[in-house]
Order: sequence, then structure tokens, then C-alpha cells
Amino acid sequence: MEQVTSKQPINGSNKKHQNNINNAFASHYAKSMFIAISGLAILTFIGTRMFTHVDLNLYGYMVGTIVFLGGFFYRFIAWGERPPTKIMIKKGIKLLFRKSTPKTSVDHLATYKFIWNRGIYRWTQHVMIGWGCLLACAVTFPLVFSWMYFTMEENGMYTIVLFGMDLMVVPADGAIAFLSYNALNISAIMVIIGVCMALYRRLKNMQARAEQQLFYDFLPLYLLLFISITGLLLTVINVFLHGKGHYVMSLIHQFSVIVTLIYLPFGKLAHIPFRPLSVFARNYREHYGEKEMKECKVCGTEFVSTEQSNDVINVLGTNNIEFNMNDGFNLAELCLPCRRKYRIARFSGSPTHQVPVKEANQNAKG
Amino acid sequence: MTMTINDSTYTTETAKTKRRLYMELENCIGCRSCLAACTQCGGHEQRNRNYVYDVNPLVNRQTMPLMCLHCVDPACARSCPAQAIQIHETGAVLSALVEKCIGCQNCTIACPYGIPKFDEEENLMYKCDLCIDRTKDDIPPMCASVCPSNTLQWLTEEEIAEKQNRHDLDNEKWVTSMPYLEGETNVKVNLPGILQGTVKLF
Repeated sequence: MEQVTSKQPINGSNKKHQNNINNAFASHYAKSMFIAISGLAILTFIGTRMFTHVDLNLYGYMVGTIVFLGGFFYRFIAWGERPPTKIMIKKGIKLLFRKSTPKTSVDHLATYKFIWNRGIYRWTQHVMIGWGCLLACAVTFPLVFSWMYFTMEENGMYTIVLFGMDLMVVPADGAIAFLSYNALNISAIMVIIGVCMALYRRLKNMQARAEQQLFYDFLPLYLLLFISITGLLLTVINVFLHGKGHYVMSLIHQFSVIVTLIYLPFGKLAHIPFRPLSVFARNYREHYGEKEMKECKVCGTEFVSTEQSNDVINVLGTNNIEFNMNDGFNLAELCLPCRRKYRIARFSGSPTHQVPVKEANQNAKG
Repeated sequence: MTMTINDSTYTTETAKTKRRLYMELENCIGCRSCLAACTQCGGHEQRNRNYVYDVNPLVNRQTMPLMCLHCVDPACARSCPAQAIQIHETGAVLSALVEKCIGCQNCTIACPYGIPKFDEEENLMYKCDLCIDRTKDDIPPMCASVCPSNTLQWLTEEEIAEKQNRHDLDNEKWVTSMPYLEGETNVKVNLPGILQGTVKLF
């Protein structure tokens, strides 16, 4: 911990400036909230051409987003204050410009390669849900804050306006226009397919059934399904029912979205904003692994980076946990097999960890 | 005053009903049934999460099992940047939540017993969760339910106390967390020597 704090001044060249800003706020939370809402307001000011194109039909989402930000910062800051998280975030930001970052980010955050390795079925459902939600967010939030809107200056031609700039003019019955109108329908169908796959797996797969919980594992799926179905129903109402009941359904849909947004930072869905930390973790392991590896104090195998071994010892120290042994090492300096053997040695009294024999048959395969 | 009475009734109640994993290390015959059983637990995806070690492999055939001892203040959870390791209300320290684990492997370095396993391909840590789908309903964990030599048992605190009375060894070899472990644990371990040479009938 102390190491990290002492490194901070070297890092931030504009330290003095930062301190001045920090002094203006009562807390981390207040600062984050202020910056986020100011940012939103400025972007909206620009995007709406000085508030001349606000879609007031969507103002409920606007309020919902701001409430969501409150919960999100509360959760994120509380989480970031934990000693191990703090280290990972600080060092992760420092290592953000590694050569491998783009590849790792794509693997972890876009193509979900690690989920592919957990099973193709799970990967498919996750891609459907994940990318469906991302697509929906990418369309919804710009519309809510009027960062993107459509105008028809010439009959039959739509102008797409992005952040107050005319991005392009497209024919109203063309392909781009079609995809724009139906982006949310496409994302809804993706999410419905993904959620149905996930629900089917949770009902049928015995491995999943053993540990799942109604409110932790099912509730987020039901919420996503609720959003997608009510959203899709809006289209159904417009296309097949001449808009009958559109008003009520749009309120129900708005309700479903806002409830999910507010819930998001606190349940299973919290992994969406927190997941980029896995890129930090991978960079951390790769960078410090290349720098210097720790040799096991018993068998000499290189098993982890020296940095990580020290970080873990320090983090445990902040929690008043300390594993310095009388035999002259910290337990975090032993490789895993040696650490297990050392424990057996403590139990039995004979020095198992010093017998140079590989651990036998640990996989129950006869 | 009332508080104290309530508290004491509460503790005797829990002592009668609360069961723990209890290990009599000396009984282990090295059959590795516990490893095989572990693979069959729901949620373990066919992979075992416990270990059996030869104590002095070049000299004799004595073995001992080792698994997560479910620390009261678990170092793995303390070192996890993602809060992926949760502690169940029964005291079991659960395996990493799959959606939260970021694959930093801090837990494997922090654990004083070297228990957590890591899957590089899936970028995911997995460890003994005391078969939580079973033990939350007071069904013994897989390893304890198959152990043929009573090395692993699922006992109430009262039963453990009874055992302690029966084996009054006066040689520090009784069920212990400390000083042979690094902190208070929910699994109770009993050091070799408790049988003092008595022949045990399985």
C-alpha cells in the first residue's frame, strides 16, 4: 500500500493542479458525480444545439440515468477503495499503453475468448446478451440526451445529426435508415435469444442448477427479458395495431429500463462496468512477469512476479494478516505445491516440502 | 443479563446443530475417493478442488488430505480486487463468482495453504466451496460423504467436543486451528497422534 502512495507524485505531473480541484469537493463521490453530470450537461448542450432539439418524450430515461450514476459511483468508489482493487486500478492505468492492450481488450471485452473456452453455448448466449445490450445502449443514450437525432429538411431524405453536426443525409427508405430505425428491434431480438438460451441452461444444466440463486442469477435475466419484450411490443403496436396502447406500453418500457439501470451496479450486472479491470490484471501480470519473476523459496521454480508477491503481502498486511514463517520465508514466496507440502509438514512434523518428489496423482484419474 | 442468557442458549443450540468438516489426518489411507467425489459435486464441472499428499514419500506410505480450511478471515477474499470470493452465511468461503473473477491470481498467492486452482484458458479461479449446495442444507460435502476411513467427517460442534474429551492427549495433538494453522478456520483439523497407536476399526 505505502509503496503505491509514495509512487503517486512521480506519476501525476499535474499534482498541484489536481489537489486544487480535489479540495473543492467534500468527497470522491461528490467530485465524480459533479464531473459526470457536468459532462452530460455540456455534451447535451452541444448535442442539442443549445437545447433546441430535446426529445422530451425520453426525459424519464434522463432522470433514470442520473439516478443510475449516483448508484454507480457509490458502488464503484466503495469498491475502488479496497486495498487490492486500488493497487490493481493504479498499476493498471500506468500499464494501459502496453503493446498487448488492444488485443487483450478485444479478447476480454469484445470477443469474450475466455467464455468461449468455458463452452460455445455459454459464449453464444453471452455474445447475444452482451452485444445486444451494448448496441441498445449505444442507440438509447445518444437519443435520450439528444446527442443524435434525425431531421428531415428535404422530403424523403433524413439528416442524421450527431453532436450538433450533420453527419450524413440518407434516403428515408434506404438501408442505413432501415438499420437505424430497427437497431433497437435487432438488439431486442439478440437479447431475447441470449436470455432464453441462458434461462434454458439454468433450467437444464445440472452444474448451473447446483449453485444458482433466484435473485442473483435469474432476476437480471428476467429484467433484460422484460425490457426487450416491452421494447419489441412498442414496434408491434406501431406496425400492427396502429399505435393502439403505445403510450401505456412506452411507460411500461421506460419503467423496465429505469429499474434495471438503477439495479445494475448492485447485482450480477455490475460485472459490465467492472470487467475492464481484467485487462488491467492481465497487463499487470504480463508486465511485472517480464520484469522479474519470484523464485519459490523451497524448490526454486519461478511461479509469480516479484511485484505481485510483494503486493499481496502488503495487501494482507493492511488487513492485519501476516504469513511470515519461522523457517525464514513468507508463505507468498512459496510456489503452490510447496506451500501445500509445507502445510502437510506442519501437520505431520516430517519435512514433506523438502522431499524432492513431485506431488502424486492429484486429479483423481486413477 | 437477558442478553447473556439468550446468547448462551443460542450457542448451545448452534453447537448441537451447526456441523463442520472435521479432519482426522492420521486415518488417511490415500485412496483418493475424496478427489473423485469432488469432481462429481454440482457446480464443480468435473474438476476436483482438493489434494492428497504423501507425507514422506521416499520413506513410507502415509498420506494426508488437504483442502480449503475455510478461514474465518480468508486471505484469498481479502486479496481479491474484484470481490469475486464471497463468504457464505454458513462460513464457507466460496469459489470465485465466474462473472466477477478477473484472473489476477492474487488469491492463489495469498492463500496460506495454496488451495485455489487457476484455469488459464477460462481465465477463472476455482476452489473448494465446501459443496455449498449440499452443506447449506446440512448434507455433508462430497469428500466427507465418501471417505472410507473417517478421515473426513461432518460433525456438530458438540460431537467434536465429545471427541476431544475422549482423546485427552495432553500433547497439543488435539483438534486445532492454532498454532498449526495461520488463523481461525471453520474446518477443524486434528493432528496425527490422536490415536496413540491404537488400532482403529473402520
